[in-house]
Formats: sequence, C-alpha cells, structure tokens
Amino acid sequence: MNTPTPHPNTSAYEMVIGLEVHCQLLTASKMFAADANAFGSAPNTNVGVVTLAHPGTLPKPNRKAFELAIRMGLACGCDITRLNTFDRKNYFYPDLPKGYQLTQDKTPILRGGRIAVTYKTADGRVISDAVALHHVHLEEDAGKSVHDADPAQTALDFNRAGVPLIEMVTDPGIRSAEEAAAFLTEIRKLVRFLDICDGNMEEGSLRCDVNVSVRKKGETALGTKVEIKNMNSIRNVQRAIEAEFARQVATVENGEKIQQETRSFDADTGRTTAMRLKETMNDYRYFPDPDLSSVLVSEQWIEAVKAQMPELPNAVFERFVAQYGLSDYDANQLTDSKETAQYFDELCQHTTNYKAASNWMTGAVRSYLNEHPSVSLPQFALKPAQIAAIIALTDSNQISTSVATQKLFSALMAQPNQTPLALAQQNGWLQNNDSTALETWIEEVMTAMPDKVKEYQKGKKGLLGLFVGEVMKKSKGAADPVRTNQLMTKKLEKA
Amino acid sequence: MVKNYPPKTYTSLTEIQADLRTGSTTCAQLVAHYLRNIEAQNATLNAFVAVYAEQARARAVEIDAKIASGTAGRLAGMVLGIKDVLCYKDHGLQAGSKILDGFTSQFTATAVQRVLDEDAIIIGRQNCDEFAMGSSNENSAFGVVRNAIDPARVPGGSSGGSAVAVQADMCLASLGSDTGGSVRQPAAFCGVVGLKPTYARVSRWGLVAYGSSFDCIGPITKCVADAAILLEIMAGSDDFDSTVSDQPVPAYSQNLPLNKKLRIGYLREGLESEGVDAQIKRATSQKLDQIRAAGHQVEAFDFPLIKYFLPTYYVLTTAEASSNLSRFDGVRYGHRSAGATDLVSLYKKSRSEGFGDEVRRRIMLGTFVLSANYYDAYYTKAQKVRRLIAQETQKLFERFDFVVSPTTPTTAFLLGQQTPDPLQMYLADIFTVQANVVGNPCISVPNGADENGLPIGFQIMGSPFEEANLLAFAESLEKI
Repeated sequence: MNTPTPHPNTSAYEMVIGLEVHCQLLTASKMFAADANAFGSAPNTNVGVVTLAHPGTLPKPNRKAFELAIRMGLACGCDITRLNTFDRKNYFYPDLPKGYQLTQDKTPILRGGRIAVTYKTADGRVISDAVALHHVHLEEDAGKSVHDADPAQTALDFNRAGVPLIEMVTDPGIRSAEEAAAFLTEIRKLVRFLDICDGNMEEGSLRCDVNVSVRKKGETALGTKVEIKNMNSIRNVQRAIEAEFARQVATVENGEKIQQETRSFDADTGRTTAMRLKETMNDYRYFPDPDLSSVLVSEQWIEAVKAQMPELPNAVFERFVAQYGLSDYDANQLTDSKETAQYFDELCQHTTNYKAASNWMTGAVRSYLNEHPSVSLPQFALKPAQIAAIIALTDSNQISTSVATQKLFSALMAQPNQTPLALAQQNGWLQNNDSTALETWIEEVMTAMPDKVKEYQKGKKGLLGLFVGEVMKKSKGAADPVRTNQLMTKKLEKA
Repeated sequence: MVKNYPPKTYTSLTEIQADLRTGSTTCAQLVAHYLRNIEAQNATLNAFVAVYAEQARARAVEIDAKIASGTAGRLAGMVLGIKDVLCYKDHGLQAGSKILDGFTSQFTATAVQRVLDEDAIIIGRQNCDEFAMGSSNENSAFGVVRNAIDPARVPGGSSGGSAVAVQADMCLASLGSDTGGSVRQPAAFCGVVGLKPTYARVSRWGLVAYGSSFDCIGPITKCVADAAILLEIMAGSDDFDSTVSDQPVPAYSQNLPLNKKLRIGYLREGLESEGVDAQIKRATSQKLDQIRAAGHQVEAFDFPLIKYFLPTYYVLTTAEASSNLSRFDGVRYGHRSAGATDLVSLYKKSRSEGFGDEVRRRIMLGTFVLSANYYDAYYTKAQKVRRLIAQETQKLFERFDFVVSPTTPTTAFLLGQQTPDPLQMYLADIFTVQANVVGNPCISVPNGADENGLPIGFQIMGSPFEEANLLAFAESLEKI
C-alpha cells in the first residue's frame, strides 16, 4: 500500500476532522415522488415526471423518510425539529433534473446528539469516546452521470435522482483517522440496526466526505479545511485522512499555505488530488422552496415512531447478557451486526443451550463466513433450526462436540437439505453409548497392548490418552470420549 | 349529425344547458360552432396554438349520449380552451416558448382533469406570453395575439389567447393562470370576466411554474356564474400539491345570497392618479355610484405601500422563476442547441436560443437577487415587504368587505407601443399585483368601454377563501 512518508515533524501537529455522512434511506419510494427507490434497476426505469422534472410537476414529501430520520434522532439523542422546511440549492448539472436540489438548509430535522465510539489508536491505546453530531438534514440524491459507457458521450441514469438521504454532519471534533473509522463503523451498524439504510459503501448507499485541517498541537484556532471525496470503504476513509494529514503537514512545514479546496482520494495511489478550489465553487442561491408546504413533526408522531423503533445495538447487548446469560464478550460479538443478532435470537428460539448457541455463532459459523466473504448470514445455507438440531445431538450425547464441529457441520453445509441426525446416522457418527460395544472395544485395545497396560498400571498414567485414542479409532469416532475415558480408567484399574 | 345552422352566441353555461335539455342544441353543434369561429378568426387573432378539432367532435358525441341517458356531468355543454401552461396528457405543452419545442405532456393537470371529469370539452390550447411573463401577449414563440375588438391592439397578457378566445366566441370559457394579473388584465382588455382565486385554492399540479408562491389557475368567462362553477369544480385539496388548501369548497355556483349592506373601499389612486386613463376613472366612479345606489357604503382609502407592489412582485417572482426555469436545460427534453460543443455551451446555447428576451431578463434579475451578496438586500427585504403588504391588506378587510379599483390604468394599447420600455409595461399590472402579493381572491368584471369601444375592467378583491361572497357581489353588479 502506497502512503506518503510522514514528515519528521508530524508529531508536532494534530488533525481536526469533521465528517459528512450521506445515508440513502430504505423507503419504498423517493423523497418527493412516487417513483420506486430501488438499487440495481435497469437505467432510467424508476423515473416518472416528477423525477425527470417535467414542467408542471410538484414535489410531495415522503413521510416515511421523516420517520427514518426521526429514528436516527431518537437513537442518537438529537433534538428533533418540529417545523421542517426545504430549501432549493441551485446549480446546473446534467444529473440534477430540476436544476436545484431540495435540502434542509435552514431547518435540519435533527440537531445535536452523540454517537459512542471505542477504538484503538495507532500506538495501541483503547479509547472510548463520543462523537458529537452538529446536525442531520433530509435531502434528495442526484442521478448518476456515467462517463465511461461511451467514449464521446456521458450517459445519464436518473434512477437515483430523488432518492431520500439523510446527511449527518459531525462537529469538527474527530482527532484521528482511527476515530473517524470507528465512527463510520458505528454509523453503519446503527443504520442497519435501525433499518434506515443498508449501509453499503460500495454501492454508495452510505457515503462519506471528510473535512480535514491540521494545526500545531496546543493551538486553538482551526486551520484551513480541505474536503475529501470519493472513498468507497471505511478503510479508504482512514487511508485518505492519513494521506491528507501527511500532505498538509508537509505543506505547512514547507512554508506553504493550505488551499481551501475539494480533493479526491485515489485508492490506487493512496493519495488525494485537487478537484476544485473554493473560489470557483458555486453560489448555490439557497432559498425556501415555494412548492413545498412545511412538514410539522408532532409529539404524537415522534411517539408513534418511538413505539415502532427497532431495538438498538446496546439494548440488544443488555438483553443478551440478561436473557441468555452471555458474557459481555460474547454478547458484544453477537451484536456487532444486526444480522448476527437476529440469527442468534432465532437460534435461541430453537434451543435453550444458549452458551452452545453462542459458541456455534462465534466459532464455526463465523469462521465459515470469514472464509467466504461473498456469503452473509441472510444467504447462509443453514437456518438457525438446523444449528439448534446439531446442538440437540451434542446435548443428548448422540454425537460428540468434536464430530459436530469438525465433521457434521461441513457435511451439513454440503447437503443443507438433510437433517443433522440423518447425516450423522448415514456417516456412522452417532456416538455408541451402548456399554457393551464400548467395553468390547476397550477390551480389544487392552488385549492388543498388554505391555502398555502394564506400564500404565505401574504409574505411567499419561498412556490413558493413547488407549482412548485407539478406542475412538475402532469406533470410527462414534464413541463418546468422556464415557470412554471413564470406562477405560475403571477397566485399567481392575485389570 | 351536425345540423348546418349556426347556434346563437351563448353567454353562459346555464343558457346552453337549458337548450341542451330541450334539445334545441347539442354538444356536437356547439363544438361545430366554436370550431367555425376558430377557423374564421384564428389566423388573424392567433388565440389558439393548437386546436383539438377531432377530439372535441368525438367527445361532443359521447357527451350528447350521456345527456340523452341522463348521466352527463355538471359541465356538459361547456367548451373550454386551456392556456399553454396547463398540462394535458398526450397533448403539446410549450408555455409559449421555443425551449419546449415539440414537448408533449405525460400527465394532466388536476384542474384540467376535474373539469374533464365533469364533461367539459377541451377544444384547444391557447397562446400566451412565454412562461406567463408579460402583459400584452407579445412575448410568445407562437407570435402575438390580437385583440378581437381592434386587431391593432394587444389583448393583454399573459393569458391573452385565453381572453381573446372567449371574447371572440371561439369557446365558452378558458382556463388561464394569474401570477400578477395574467387572467384579470387580459379579461379587462377583452371585455370578459377573469377570476384569480385565493392562492392555494386550486391545485397547481400540472401548471407550468412561473412564480410558485404567486401562481393561480383561474377561469376566463363571459359571466360570473360560469367562473363560479368552474372554480367550484377545480378547487380543493389534491394529493399532488402539498401547498394546496384543504379548506372545504363552498358551492360557489349556488348563487349565495348577498342581502346585507356592504362596505366597499376603493383605492384613491384608482380614481385620482395621473397614470389612470380619464375614461377609466369616469367608468369606475359611475360604477361606484351604482353600488352606492344599490344601498352599499362606498369609501375611499389610501394605501401608501402601493409604490412597493411592483418592486416586491418583481424581486420575488423573478427569484422563483430563475430557479423554476432551471430545469429547461436542453438535457432531458425540449430545445437542445445544435451548436453545443461541451456541457457549458449546451446550457448556454440551448437556453439563449430557447428563451425569449423577457424570460431571459427575468431569469437574470432573479439570479441576481438570490446571489449570496445581494440576497438580504433584495430577496429577504422583499419577503419582509410582502408580509407588511399582507398585514396592511388584512387591516383593509377589517374596514371593508371588498376592495375595488379599475383592473388596469389604461385600456388595450397598440401592439408594440409598450415593448421598448419593460418598466412601462410592468405598470399595466399596478392594480392587479396586490392580490397575488397577498394571495387574496380577485375578479375583473366588464365595466363598459372607452370612446373607442375598448373594454374597461372593474376589479374586486375579497378576503382569502371568501370567493363565495366575492362571486355573489360580482354577479350582483352584472344586474345593476
């Protein structure tokens, strides 16, 4: 990975970071039109007369978008604006059909609020802090200009035009790339738990612009800020901040001035490059949109949203500890994504061995998902009931835990339509707890190794493992190692 | 089949529906009559930019059948023209502009749909000033419209084609739009009735926007009763317009009684200002005498804020228009310059070629007043003045039931007479803009003619959402 070499005086500087995070809201229709809000449709299929800004059309606010924004506000402790208006941000661009974007310039739906983050600094300290939100406003997305479809022409896709967004703007209180990354990770988790955004940065449903400035440690005045765009992963946001910090420090150290500008991050080179200077930026001529009446958010409406609020990650964590008796560590792991938490909840409806359920989730299931990054839990072949069926087999000692994790799990992955019991039967993995069979194998082993038996009886107790292993071999893994151990010890002492 | 004799010239839907009931006329005959009048006069007057002859004939046959079976709607027999700023699905829409060359609307305006649902017949699309900006109908890509009384004169604007079409009996009524007087001023110049409803009384869905917080769809008719029924049918809440009022719509057409003694205030400037034509002053004071004679109280008032009407109107409407007209960029529809070489030239050339002088002037003015350095000095200040004018107007209505004035300071002027000086042209709207600035309903009714036979209009403004009283009073004036 290509990152600029840090200037020797870097440690004298601190970075000041503010983030602007755009989340596309999971509404059925657009912010001001009935057209579908759907990612991945064929180009220009979700485009009616409002989206295309035909003459005579008017916007109509989507109440669902307000509800999703209010959810975010309730989750982050923001003040919720009661009288909401929209302003026109005027500029010409081919993917902006009306020639203006509708946004909340004067009355953002949310003000204030905080998001707790825990992260590890570059020097290994673990820090728990909260990032303060300045405000969150509702607005509509623009369409997409596709420049590489044709060498001579730009193609336009208006499916995205008018898709509802919330833009979350933090205070410039973030002090490291790690903190910024932790904040974004937390936002992504939160919007997914809240069902307000799918949080997919690669598809652009979650986007982040970063404002970075540097100043000498101890100074209070803010330096000139630079905006960075075009980062499609949290990792790249972190890299962009590091690269931009290094560039700004080097610039200042060289005695040059930081230009107020917008820069673009290039993931291939790991560097930021200039896009446009502040002086050449648009005068957006904001003014209140006379085509929209204001939207009043009543106490009653907020209460209704509260009543239907999905469970927040923290609440799920607390519940897992209380309801399932999990350790903080396990509960934390099981709430790092909404999908994991949901899967675990469902699993616990099919088994009461919550500890085993947790071990399966954080062990075999997680390993499988880590090895198969294209698969996520909703597409995972095994349903919670099947994992619960495996747990039932081990709980009843029908199979050993080692067989369950090492053999049955992958066999079931290969044949997800089978039941765990049927597969165990077919493969002869069912533990033979029939004492006669076990005793026969034990006797056979003892008969076959008389010298070792004598050594054991003389005090070389470590040989027990060898005898048990031989019994397991004879049983083709079906013997319960614990029972085998007990019986074997008894027989050896009697002999 | 259409019989080969001309029906009489009707002046109200009531008369028409009476004859439809007795069978002495049919919708087919009415349509044939209006089509003949269009054919005979449109080449000169240029009131219609598109005539839907075949569709109108076919619809007339359908509606005649409905009349026969007793299932006809309330506007059966009404043959309407619509201004070229109203959307009508699968029909052309250009707002009198080259920038919308070849554009076809994909949906129907709520107001238009509602009159269609009551069996009105739409006979064609009417010429107007480009994007409804103008007071003479000289700013149209389709050419000037001429006043039927004297084709050397303007019909007023911006709904000039709509007013002339009614004046010249090319249709019974028209739907126009009024942002600063665009229904009332041409109605006055053409001797017909023009109604601007309260702002937000009629849905703007399907009305090409000029100044969104001023724009109103309004009828142009031969009598007040026709304006009343059209408003009754068009008004009311609409899911497509978040700004439209959901106040209940009274039965305007039911001739609500107006027995009480009214307090009428008249604007002193309307009778005394040097800028008002002497014959208009005479006609207006005669009308006031008649109103007094009918037992009402008539009193003059001064309105010092009148000098801010036009500046407020032009700062705010051009600000809104500069943004409303941004969508006409040559990218998705309408005129795209053949000479464009890159994105910036596509915008500049398409828009420079597509928009006429007056529209460009207003876009530039509006862009200026919204720019960061001038926003507070112009836009913010004009909003404050607008509120002030609204407060003072509201106070007037504590003293008076209605406020009256001449509709215009002059009668119809000659084509080309005012075009060299846009500011002079803007004065044509001096009495009409107040109702748009404050949102009150306002009607212009015919008030005789000057010595050249040019029509004079008398304007009555009412309180917001008090159209029932306003229409009842206006109708009472038709009888005195």
